[in-house]
Amino acid sequence: MSVIGECLVAFLFGSIVGLLVQRSRFCNTAALRDAILFKTYRNTKALLVAMMILTIGFTGFMTIGEGKPMRFDVGLNQIVGLFLFGIGMVLAGACTVSTWVKAGEGNFGAVWALLFTFIGMFLFSLFWSFLYWPPAPEAMTGNFNLETLQLGYANAETLQESTGIPAIVFGLIQFFVLYVIFRKIQQKEANPKTVTS
Amino acid sequence: MEFFKKTLDPVIALSVIAVADIFLFLLVGAWTVGGGETMMTGLVAKFFMGDALGSIPFWQLVFVPDAGYWKIYISLGMLFGGIVGAVMSKEFFLRFPRRLSEWVMITIGGLLMGIGIRLAFVCNVSTFFGLTPQLNMGGYLAISGIIAGAWVGSMIYKKSLGM
Repeated sequence: MSVIGECLVAFLFGSIVGLLVQRSRFCNTAALRDAILFKTYRNTKALLVAMMILTIGFTGFMTIGEGKPMRFDVGLNQIVGLFLFGIGMVLAGACTVSTWVKAGEGNFGAVWALLFTFIGMFLFSLFWSFLYWPPAPEAMTGNFNLETLQLGYANAETLQESTGIPAIVFGLIQFFVLYVIFRKIQQKEANPKTVTS
Repeated sequence: MEFFKKTLDPVIALSVIAVADIFLFLLVGAWTVGGGETMMTGLVAKFFMGDALGSIPFWQLVFVPDAGYWKIYISLGMLFGGIVGAVMSKEFFLRFPRRLSEWVMITIGGLLMGIGIRLAFVCNVSTFFGLTPQLNMGGYLAISGIIAGAWVGSMIYKKSLGM
């Protein structure tokens, strides 16, 4: 596909996401924060359903060698980075999706959060240029590397290659785990603890 | 139009988004936001700094500013979709944080999100809607980090509300 074609497809997809997120008030931050703080799961259930659909879709296509999965080494930096991100999104009151959507609604707080996300990225680029860690994706080998705290690379595709079991089988296992969590939440909502005086 | 009068069930919204994401995965790659935001940062920095940006290795080795990077247009599409939804449903109006503490929290939160995305190479979107459904090891590492971070953030938020 041409560069313009890729950009048009991406813009169309983003527009659908923006419209649906705006109309549904979905927010990834709320999916985690509300479950932790208020024990409400409106957004958490939506997140789980999307993950179930995607798990079947992605692993199904990966089984027959279709799709474009992400390929780069992972390691300690994913845990630390998303830990910082998790704190940040709760403090900012929005995730990467809802900042754009709320900005589109005229929310200046979201614009301010976006501005400082960009500034944070630029500050990190200065820090990276001094440390060169984590390594650039081009320099990653796909293998365990203790020196750079990288564990290598593994996904449904590599599982299929190393075990000979179709990727969709592993996808179905993950689907089942996500479904169990979803059902537990539904049961919790159906049987809230009654307060007796 | 009914669609713009009622709030949509997020389960329905996210189901439609998930199906669209599968098509995106087949065509260009799964939904992600952090990469596009980084490229935008690079383009803005290049606008202000010019060729001097090339002296910072990150922008030579990891993200070379390129306006043709498709992930940028996902973010711009989300902004456009948000505007259309808000205008059509008469929910567009300018809102500003009222208290100084809100400005401070949003500023710190934004900085942490930006630093976190670049340190991890992934954002929350690629964690939940890309890596983990591909059974990528990075997805599970990132989920453990974001849940722990959201818990710490929630405790700070709770304290700030005096709960």
